[in-house]
This record gives sequence, structure tokens and C-alpha cells, in this order.
Amino acid sequence: MDLGALATELRRITVAVLGSDHVAGAGVAWAPGWVVTNAHVARESHVTLQRADGTRAEARVMARDPEEDLALLHAPRLNGADATLADNGEVRVGALIVAVGHPFGVRGAMTAGIVHAVGPLVRGGRPWIQADLKLAPGNSGGPLADAHGRVIGVNTMIAGTLALAIPVSRVVRFVAKAR
Amino acid sequence: MDALLALSDGLAAAVQRAGRALCAVHARPRVPSSGVHWRSGLVVTASHTVRVEEDLTVVRADGRSVVATLVGRDPALDLAVLKVEATELPVADLGESDGVHVGHMVLALGAGPRASWGVVSAIGPARSRHAETDVFSLDLTLYAGFSGGPLVDARGLVVGINTSGMSRNLQLAIPAKVVSRVVDQLVRHGRIPQAYLGVGTQVVRVPETVREQLHLAQETAVIVIEVQPGSPASSGLLMGDVVLALDGHAIADPFDLRGVLRPERIGQRITASVLRGGQRLDVPLTVGERPPRSR
Repeated sequence: MDLGALATELRRITVAVLGSDHVAGAGVAWAPGWVVTNAHVARESHVTLQRADGTRAEARVMARDPEEDLALLHAPRLNGADATLADNGEVRVGALIVAVGHPFGVRGAMTAGIVHAVGPLVRGGRPWIQADLKLAPGNSGGPLADAHGRVIGVNTMIAGTLALAIPVSRVVRFVAKAR
Repeated sequence: MDALLALSDGLAAAVQRAGRALCAVHARPRVPSSGVHWRSGLVVTASHTVRVEEDLTVVRADGRSVVATLVGRDPALDLAVLKVEATELPVADLGESDGVHVGHMVLALGAGPRASWGVVSAIGPARSRHAETDVFSLDLTLYAGFSGGPLVDARGLVVGINTSGMSRNLQLAIPAKVVSRVVDQLVRHGRIPQAYLGVGTQVVRVPETVREQLHLAQETAVIVIEVQPGSPASSGLLMGDVVLALDGHAIADPFDLRGVLRPERIGQRITASVLRGGQRLDVPLTVGERPPRSR
């Protein structure tokens, strides 16, 4: 697989969360009919999702945790591929990673970088996958994936030039509790 | 194996390999900087991050904290060498920094380890500070605490020491070959001897008539605006002298002066070609060593 193929694969599992007149952020097709995004992306009780092929589906926000900054969306009529998840124990500093999202509204844009570190930013803080990779508004809620195309985290924040993603293990825990 | 996976595994392995000799240097308030165990018992870091000269601590890659003492520093290249009692700690695998070219993929590491990825964007002199040394300009992010850490090639070999201290806008690395030379000098002398004359100068235009008369190619020279008392220059140069050449090398700006005044010239007698009151004359001078306090 090359970077182009990796981008194509990840675009298939990345949705756009649409606001009234703009793209509010991205989401990860987690399981058939279910999408995960950031809580700060899904602010209403209902949102519209759009796949890379243009198809749209309405979704209901089933669970929203502002502290964790995660939301689980139920979209029964959303068809298409779902994410393959990585095991967070395997994430190595220096490993190649890619993010797909809609930075500044640019649909399905990919950025590449490496794992900067894994862990909290300050002692006692929550753990992040810290990425040496460019993110921008519109990437929120989208996938951070390894060179296999497996999702290792959900892109959430920017700290200076550092990208921060919620580790997939925490997302799995959130989804299990919410469903 | 898949090329992308091989690259990913290779980068992660490079971080792991270079990370073994990586340490955190606690020598300033708040954010510690990074350092590299360069030779047995010697840690190299960035001079600007060593703000205190006592009670230095180095935290090794295995998490153990050891006391360090300052061996010496080279402020011009922003390097400092610390001595640690940790001889069993792995020493960095040094790469051939002459083999690094513009466009090569590199990693910058910070204590943790934390990693940053990019390419060498230029190789050339850091003219503002140290005209005779080529340094690497990097297209990557040097995150907080990365100064003093290693620049690592795709094999995991250390090819330089990173610093953001020499310029606010540039990410630079001092090539490993230069670092090794500085370490040698600091271990031997405890300092980097710096040649000096003890003058302050400014660029001036050389009048056309003088250029024709003396058959000079240079359009500018430097005028002496300050002579430090007791300095090597005080025995021969006067304020207002225009220095055209030093030891046969044309002096068009103050950087040319620095280019001639290399450490190996300390103690040597050289001749300054000077324009004084419209007359050209040769002034003999002895190159001195800059006293530590005025650095």
C-alpha cells in the first residue's frame, strides 16, 4: 500500500458532519449504523452525515460526553465501510501515521506525520496520542490511523503545532458504555 | 513487506535506537531540555538551556536521575558538555554527518522519547554567529524541550545536535562532526579559545579615488569605532582607522574579520593594512585570546 491507497481507504470510513452552512467536523464510521465524533462537533440532538461518495444520512446523537469530548451517533441508513481498529498497545513513537478529515472545509484531505509521544501532556492529565502532524479545524472527530490503515485515535485538539487524538482504547470504552 | 509499513517500522526503530542515549537535562526553570550521551560520561546539550552552573541533573533514558557538572560550553555554536557518573549508560551511535544532504529524511528527538519528523532543508554557514561552520537547517518542528536533543537519520544514527536557540525563526542542528570537535576541545581546555583583537568596527565605503590608487577590488572596508583598552589592537590601531585587509585577506565587513580571527591564530603576529589620514600603512598586531568575562 502507498500513501494514496491509504488515503483512499481512510476516506471510505470518514464521514463529514454537516452544520447548517458548513462542515462542522469529521466522524469515524465505527460499526454498521454507528459513527463516532467529538462532542464539540455534534452539538445538536440531530445531525446530517455525508459519506465521501456524497450520500447523506440523518443521525441521532445517542450519547455525548463533553468532558471526554466524544459523541456517538446512530445513523441506521448510513451504508458503507466501517473502521478497522488498532490495538493501542502497539503504537510506537516514530511510527508513520495519517489523518483524514475536512480541514477548513477541504473534503477528505490527508496529512501525514509520525507519533510524537503517547501519554498525558502534563503529569496526571488524560492520555493522548500526540502526533507530529498537521491538523486544522475540520479535522475534529476524524480518524488518526497507522500505516496499515487501522484507526489508532480520534483527532480532537491542536496544542501549538502538536496534534492530539483520543486513543482508540478510550473511544472503545466510551462506545461500549453508550450503546 | 509493504514499503509504507517498512518505512513506519524503520522510523520507530530509529527512535528506539537513538533514544537509548537520550536524556533530559534539568538546568533551567520549568521545561527541561534534552541531551545526548555522546561519549562515556559526557552528555552534550544546547548551551542556552544550561542556565545554572550548579545543581545540574540529568535524567537518563531508564528514568534514573544523576548529578551532572558543567565541563564547558561553546556559546557561538550553542553547545554545552556535561560530565555525568553514568558510564554504563549506552553511548549514542554517531553517524557520518558529512553524508547528510539536503532532502534527507531526519528525526529530531526530545527526552521522553518524543519525536518529530522532517527533512534537511539547507546546509550552510550560520553566518550571523559562526561564519566558518556549516550547520543543518531543518524542515521540522523543534517542540519545547527539544533543544540539545539528537538529529537522527533514517538508520537511527545521531548526525547532529538540534537547537532553536541560535535564531527564533530557524530550526538548526550542529553536525555531529563539529560536535565531536567541540567536545574534544572542551574536555582538553574547558573552553573554546576565541581569537580577538579588541576592536569594534562598522562597514564603510572605500572612496573611488583610494580604490583606484591602491588597485582594490573591494567596495567596502571596516572603520574602527572602538579600541578596548589593554587589548591586542590597542598597541597599533586607532579609532577612525579604516582596516582594508588583515593578513592579506580583504576585509569588506565585520564578518570577514571573524573569518580571519580563527582560534589557531592566537599568539600569531599578523599585519593589518590600514588607511589612516589618507595614508595607507601596515600595522603589526598580535592576535590575542578573548578573555572569558567579555564573551
